Formats: sequence, structure tokens, C-alpha cells
Amino acid sequence: MDGSVKVTGTPALELRSVRRVYGFGPSATTALDNVELTVPAGRFVSLIGPSGCGKSTLLRIAAGLEEPDQGGVRVHGVPPAQACAAKMIGLVPQSPALLPWLSVLRNVTLPQRINKGAARRRERIAGSIERGTSPPDMRELLVRAGLGEAMHKLPAQLSGGMQQRAAIVRAFGLRPDVLVMDEPFSALDEFTRESLQDQLLDLWDELKTTVLFVTHSVSEAVRLSDTVVVMAPSPGRIVDSIDIDLPRPRKDRLFGERRFHEYEDLVRDRLRSAWRSEAA
Amino acid sequence: MTVAEERTAPAAAGTEPPVEPSRFSLRHPKSRLAWIRPSMWAPLAVMLALLAVLWQWGAEKLPYLLPPLSKIGSSLRSDLGYYVDNALVTLGEAVAGLAMGFAAAFVLAVLTSELPLLRRAVMPIAVVFNVTPLVAIAPALVVAFGFGPLPKLVIAGLICFFPILINIATGLRSVPREVLQVYRTMDASRAELLWHVRVPTALPFLFAALRIVFPLSIVGAVVAEMSASGSSSGLGTAISVASSMNQLPVVYASILVLAVMGVLLLLVVTLVERRVLHWHDSAHD
Repeated sequence: MDGSVKVTGTPALELRSVRRVYGFGPSATTALDNVELTVPAGRFVSLIGPSGCGKSTLLRIAAGLEEPDQGGVRVHGVPPAQACAAKMIGLVPQSPALLPWLSVLRNVTLPQRINKGAARRRERIAGSIERGTSPPDMRELLVRAGLGEAMHKLPAQLSGGMQQRAAIVRAFGLRPDVLVMDEPFSALDEFTRESLQDQLLDLWDELKTTVLFVTHSVSEAVRLSDTVVVMAPSPGRIVDSIDIDLPRPRKDRLFGERRFHEYEDLVRDRLRSAWRSEAA
Repeated sequence: MTVAEERTAPAAAGTEPPVEPSRFSLRHPKSRLAWIRPSMWAPLAVMLALLAVLWQWGAEKLPYLLPPLSKIGSSLRSDLGYYVDNALVTLGEAVAGLAMGFAAAFVLAVLTSELPLLRRAVMPIAVVFNVTPLVAIAPALVVAFGFGPLPKLVIAGLICFFPILINIATGLRSVPREVLQVYRTMDASRAELLWHVRVPTALPFLFAALRIVFPLSIVGAVVAEMSASGSSSGLGTAISVASSMNQLPVVYASILVLAVMGVLLLLVVTLVERRVLHWHDSAHD
């Protein structure tokens, strides 16, 4: 029941006995029950599990979008609301959620004009990433994400994959301490998804932010993560935590190798045994 | 959109072959010259001619109900100043009333979208007011505000108020949930969210309301003029005075001027909408 990994210093994300129940009385469903999770700074952690296992609920709680009914949540030692106020959390939702009237460039630079007091609040929170004085060069980030040509276009003029890339750049532009991603590639076709996974890893290799990544794809989880957290439904809970000990940067060659597939099989196996204990 | 422009366009396009044809070229799928094709204008022209013939036939059979078109035309031509003056009065009342109604509706829409308690208190009343025929309220407002311009502004403003309120209030709350979540994790303030996200999201709703409300504002002004029997000017007054004196050409000429005014206002809204909402699907129809 423990998704913890060895910790030194303040963890980037910490959930203690988190419980979340939706509804009342007999129709109440326990979305999360007794969830313990510790994510050290700089790690890429995926949450995987069948629908209804509470992985998106866990993500929303970590991002401060929802409050747990019981238990405690800390982001770099402070409550999520305080982390949001310091703009330490970057969110990439399932849909790109770009503003259709702004060009791609203006979409990704808008966060710099919002909540300008955040930098000051962030300095006071120990262990958060040193961001430097100047905001990141969003044009350069867009170019690196392959959106150099599309910078001045409106979101509707881009493909779904390019829109999602813009959403990722928008989140990275915050230089977030914790990047939370809720099945960001689930609406994309397979080729687009793989190229976006590569780009995500490229950006992440450089910025080394902590990532909490919700997915329902086993290979995506293994491919991207340092740790895969396996969850099971009714009640939503963490059943296992598997460290993926594969070298980085991870390139295409690795994904054909046996050790990669062994990790995939391991995760699938754990998911299946979670199902089986469910049925019994 | 002259013929000369049409001739220059293909030449300009010829220098850079891969460029899509100019919008002033007939080959462009959405060419601005499409209307010179007979298939674009002929149906309307034939329909208008048919209606004119029917009108003339009716005018001969029922001279007490329909004046001949020639008399309407000559009334317009000889008294053009009279029509323009009265049209400007009515237009002024309509637009000023609309501006007042818009300002009030916008403020209330923002307040109700930010304060759910206020929304629950105000919106049901707004809906009831909206379905109450304004024509029925107008005489009471004239009694209350007198025969000057004020009741006209109030009535034109009232008739515009509710469509704008309901549309903007809906628009402000139609921001997709995931967009709100993204900006909530940045702890965007209510004002930032309103200015950067909610108001732009509401713009298509606002323009939908303006398309309804610009013509309605004229209705409001005319109704107010007709209800205030002592009014001295405005097309509504002109119509009630002329019909009481059985001057049918003047009545119909005034109606024609009102119709033209409505079309012009709608045209203005459409042009502004194309500019402002260039990013929105509705601008590409």
C-alpha cells in the first residue's frame, strides 16, 4: 500500500493517508482510500490503472484542484494551494485547453502575465527550483518543440498533436517544480504520441522538474518513467510501485530491447493481479 | 469591389504562382466578387421584381390600403430631409438606449457570474421580465418619464437589456473546465481570469446578442415614440401622425426607412464581428 521511494530532503510531492469520497450515503464511491505517495524532486512518476482507480483524482488533489476528505498533501513541504500561489505547479490536461483567440505564442506567454506576485512567494519556499530572474524564452522553447513555424498561428490552425505540444510548452514555461499531466496524449494517434513522448523527455531531461503523469498505457508509462505507480479501483488505491531502472536518455533502440519489455510485462502483471484480487 | 480590382487581381497572383487566388478573384472559393455571378443576385432580383408587380397590382385593387410605389418614392424624394431628420432622431434614441442597456447588462452579467448567490436571486426575475411584452410596459414608462427623449432611451435600453444579460452571463460561464483548471493551478486572480479568459470566451455570445439587439433597439425606440402621443419627432411619431391623417405613402416610406436602418445596423454588427471574432468559427461562414 506504500508508493514511497527512498527520500533525501523535502520530497517534491507527499500524500499521507489520503482519502477522497464522492457522493453521500449508499451511492458514495471511495475514489481514493489510504493513499500514501512520496515523490522525490526530479523524478518522473507515472500513475497507471484501470478507469475508476482514482488516478485523476489523485492528480487533481496533488495539483490543488481538489481537497482530500482525509489525510495530508504537501508540495515541497507546503500545501498545494500555497504551491499554486507560488506558480510551482504546471498542469497539462487531457485536452490542450488553449485559448482559441490567442496565437500559440501568446497562449504560452500568458502565464507570465498572470499572478505576478508568484516569484516572490516562490523564493520563500525552500527547495523549489531556482528560476533565475528572467522568465524563460518562450520563442526558443516553442522552436525546440517544433512549433517555430506555428508560433503566430491560432490553435485551430494546428493539428491535435501540435496543440498538445503547445500545452506542454505552456506548462514548462512556468518552470514548474511539479508538472502534473493528465493523460495528455490519450487523444492522439500512435505516431504523434511517440514523437510527443520523445519531445517531452527532451524538455524534461533539461529542466529536471518533477513529473506526475497519469496514463492508461503500459508502454507509455514504462517508456517515460523512473517509477510506475500501479493503482486499482473500488476503492481507488495504490497497489504497487515499480522503479524502472533503464538508462537515460531513452532512445528508440531501447524500446526494442528485452529489458524494456520485461518491465512492460511486470507492470501488466501487477495490473492484472490487482484486477484478480478485485474479482475474488 | 470594382471591375478594375478584379482585373488587377489575377495579374498580381500571376507573379507568385503557388499563392492562393486573391479574394477578389472569382477562382477563390470565398471570392468577394462572387456576387457578380448571376446565380448569386438573380434570385433576389427576380423575387423583388415579382413583389413589386404584386404590390402595384394590389395598389390598383385596394387604393385605400396600399399606396402605389411611385407615390412612396416621390414622397421619399421630395421630403428626404424630413425622413433623414426623423430617422436620425429614432436612430439616436435606439443606439443611446442600446448603449445604456448594454452597459447595465454587462455589469450585471459579470456580477452574476462571479456571485452565484446574486445569480440565483436575479436570473429568474430577468427571465420573467424578458417574456413580458415590452409594448405592454411602454405606456406606463411614458407616464413615468414624460414625453421627452428619456422614456425612449429607457424602453430601447430595456428591450436590449435581457438578451444581452442572458447571453453574456451564459458566455462568461462557458469556459471549458480544463482551461479553468490550468489557470487555477497558476492561482490566477478572479480579475485576471475574467479579463484574460472569461470575457473573450463570452464575445461570440455577446455578438449573437448584438445581432438580435441592434434591430430590437429600433423596435424599442419606435414603440416608445408611438406610445408617447405628444412626441414631436422620430419615425414612430411620423408613422402615427401620418396614419391618423391617412397619408399612406408617408407611412410606408417611413417603414422603408426603418427597414433600411435596421439592415445598416445589422451590417455594422456583422463587420465588427468579423474583425473581432476572426478566430471564431462563426466568422468564417
